[in-house]
Amino acid sequence: MAFWNEIGNRVAWLFRRSRFDRELEEEVRFHIQARTDELEQTGLSGADALRQARREFGSTLRSREETRSAWQMRWLEDLGADLRYAARALRRNRALALAAVGSLALGIGANTTIFSVAREALFSEPSCRDPQSLVQISVGGDTWIPMSQYRFLEDNHAFDGLAGMNIQMVVNWRDGNRTYRLAGTRVTDDFFEVTGIPIAMGRPIERGESDVAVITHGFWTKHLGGDPNVIGRTLVLDGQPYTVVGVLPRDHRMLTGFGFTPDLYLTKDPIEVLVYARLPRGMGRQAAYTRLQPICRELDRVYTDVNRKWAKEVRLSTVGGVERLQENGPEAIPAVAFFGMLIVVTAIVLLIACANVSSLLLARAFTRSREFAIRMSLGGSRGRLVRQLLAESLLLALLGTGAGLLLNLWLTRLLSGIHIPTPLPIELLIQPDRMLLAYSAAIAFVVTLATGLVPALKGTRAGIGGALKEGDRQTGPSGYTLRNALVVGQLAVSILLLSAGLLFIRNLMYATSFNAGFDTTHTEVATFQTVWGSYTPQKFAALVDTALARLRALPGVEASSPASAVPLNPFLAFNRPGGQFRPDAGSRTVRVQYNSNAVGPDYFRIMGIAILRGRAFADSDRIGAPQVVILNENLARRLFGNTNPVGHVLRFPDNHDATVVGLARNCKYVTLGEENAMALYEPFSQQNHSAFAHFFVRTRGAPETMARRVEETLAGLDAAAAVDTHSMGEIFAGALLPSRLCAAILGSMALFGLMLASIGLYGVLLYAIQQRIREIGIRVALGATPGNVLAMVVGQSLRLVTAGMVIGLALAAVAVRPLSMFLVPEVRPADPMNFVGVACALALVAGLATVAPTARALRVDPAVALRHE
Amino acid sequence: MAPNTIPELLPGTLYLLILRTLSRGPLHGYAIVKRIKDASSEGLRIEDGSLYPALNRMLVKGWLTSEWGVSENNRKARFYRLTPEGRKQLDKEAGEFDRLVRAIQLVMRTA
Repeated sequence: MAFWNEIGNRVAWLFRRSRFDRELEEEVRFHIQARTDELEQTGLSGADALRQARREFGSTLRSREETRSAWQMRWLEDLGADLRYAARALRRNRALALAAVGSLALGIGANTTIFSVAREALFSEPSCRDPQSLVQISVGGDTWIPMSQYRFLEDNHAFDGLAGMNIQMVVNWRDGNRTYRLAGTRVTDDFFEVTGIPIAMGRPIERGESDVAVITHGFWTKHLGGDPNVIGRTLVLDGQPYTVVGVLPRDHRMLTGFGFTPDLYLTKDPIEVLVYARLPRGMGRQAAYTRLQPICRELDRVYTDVNRKWAKEVRLSTVGGVERLQENGPEAIPAVAFFGMLIVVTAIVLLIACANVSSLLLARAFTRSREFAIRMSLGGSRGRLVRQLLAESLLLALLGTGAGLLLNLWLTRLLSGIHIPTPLPIELLIQPDRMLLAYSAAIAFVVTLATGLVPALKGTRAGIGGALKEGDRQTGPSGYTLRNALVVGQLAVSILLLSAGLLFIRNLMYATSFNAGFDTTHTEVATFQTVWGSYTPQKFAALVDTALARLRALPGVEASSPASAVPLNPFLAFNRPGGQFRPDAGSRTVRVQYNSNAVGPDYFRIMGIAILRGRAFADSDRIGAPQVVILNENLARRLFGNTNPVGHVLRFPDNHDATVVGLARNCKYVTLGEENAMALYEPFSQQNHSAFAHFFVRTRGAPETMARRVEETLAGLDAAAAVDTHSMGEIFAGALLPSRLCAAILGSMALFGLMLASIGLYGVLLYAIQQRIREIGIRVALGATPGNVLAMVVGQSLRLVTAGMVIGLALAAVAVRPLSMFLVPEVRPADPMNFVGVACALALVAGLATVAPTARALRVDPAVALRHE
Repeated sequence: MAPNTIPELLPGTLYLLILRTLSRGPLHGYAIVKRIKDASSEGLRIEDGSLYPALNRMLVKGWLTSEWGVSENNRKARFYRLTPEGRKQLDKEAGEFDRLVRAIQLVMRTA
């Protein structure tokens, strides 16, 4: 406290310095006068008294100086002076200031944005009370725990509370005469009490309540128009009335993380739940584990299950932050890897930006070496000069960081507005915050040191002797070496960036023109979800038949087919069963895992998937008829080798047999990047479905125009069912989204890096020419032809570019390898064409950067150049 | 050895003396010196040159405030006044000083 008061007093003093000096002088005069008066009273003469008073006081100058120093904060005043001087210097050199601040602003702005995104998607803390003492429990190696086992755990009261939630629920919401599919999260009645999730309006769901719901801010604003009287409103969900009791705040982050946001939370016990436990105060996770273990052994005794040992792999994991990522294991890795790569890439761009600024400042420091030499010979200390140069870089860093933050604010606002086209409600609340500011400040600091220290030390090392000598403006070899090294480094790193960027751009180009193995231009997909339990399989089958007949009767519809999975959509995903199969029901077993889809007869025609041998399904493939399957080429080769599989029998792991009736061409199933994926089709009508089907409709015109009609037709069959339509092109675009995003981000980063590196090269060459004007003049005077001069300049550029290229290509060849996990298999990171392309691009840009310096060198007139100081 | 040698101030006691002198009311710089000289029967004298740096260091610390006023013989002078913090500091330093002196005396008497 006292310390800050003192600082405040000192700062206040800074603003009344001149008055202070005047008053101090007056005070000293009074003091001496008072003493003189007193001495006069003792009988001394006026002049003697004054003299003695002065003598007694001693040096007024020293006293004043010491008094002033009581107030001063030397460093602050010096810093102020340095910054003012630096600002003047930068104003005089606008090009340098703009280039440097611009480089840093883009480097920092891009960086902080990536940081915001990564932090929000990966490291955000969920919205709940005291996340440190909330843990997620998994038993028997599974995070999903059946309800009866959950109740058993709850009845043991091992912790301060247990809460269950199920995020995978689709809820049908009947509003007027339309039904919407909502992402509902079902929770146990004590969920809000245990987790302490904050509520913006109304109240949370309370213990003992049923048929109540808490809605998210997004659902409230988007679907209910932000109705202020929403509390108490009734929503008909899955045919039952629920009362809205609360609205969540806008920045609600779900316990599961990764930007997933449901539309609402409702009380209804699901079949299985993710379990969260509130640990008692002071209980660590180890202690909690020790307490949970015997309960799980008890669980094993009560619910004996041959396939599942509850007491095995019991785990308690945190609900937020970095730790969650490690615990989530393999599923989380692609997201982590991608963001990790983005961070590396942005760090590289920032590095190039720093190198550029450093290079600019270094050049400036050298051109000012004469000024420094003069100042040092006049008694300026080297430390003082270094400090002044550092102040210049500090100013640049501050300006760059400030501009970068503004850029970041703008970018995050832009990104938050982007709707991510997935069928799952994912919403990233990207917003700058204090952590981000700390991060940027750290960057600014590092940048200051990086860009300031080296030029400052180098620039003042020259000493007095050499630099003062007239005409000796050739800088020492060390200066060249450092700047050349910087340029070579920049070129090398931009090769690396370009290689990655080019890969992603090629990936995008390939993917957009790319044949997923099926037609995406004339298919509309409608997802039809009835309320669970409202149909028997027989009745549902009849409903599907009616739906197909009505869809086919629509004008503009060529064909329609039901299916249990939609390709290239990770959220309406394929089942991926597997196991030991016996081809021809023999003794040989083959272990396979494949994508399973149950489809109607017209599916292959609608999707344009060729049946290479045998036949497609027929209407006669029904329950009761012999079981049949169609294999794709990959699975057929795996099971039956190169023989024609049609007519062969396949025995499934559960010992039922099916006859292979057709061989379908390979296509993509889950992701565009998959390779050699295996697939097995079964007739939709030979399986039991009771709630859910996708309808694939082949349209004559653009499928989007049919969406409304298809939706109405299906909704007319069951008013309580939810219908959701997407065109296949839309789904395909969703699958392309990651490639698009990567290509856009890395492509722009690569271009940006290349731009910065070429500015660096241009600067170095131009500077080198400036330094050698006299030398060039002499050479020309002695008979050097323009060709010789050209060779000299281009030679230097060539040496730098070649060195950068060799290093960069060597780096890139190794570093881009792991990128293959993000790319379609047809785009190979090791493809030499990539490197040739990158090298050409760099050579081109380097060539352009060399033109201006070369022209400058060729214009050298010996008569002028020799007079050049 | 001059008979009128004035003992040097113990280090750190300058603040204490100034605080104590001002505890009875605001004074200007010269009056502080004079008051201390008189109160100690000329046994203590503060160097004129070190008075003002000390006063200003105390202003910085917030122990004193200053304002311009008129001296006893009608001259413009700057008067220093103790702040509540200054009074607290005086109590603290006076207590410490007492303990120190008592301890030294104890040693001098018994050792």
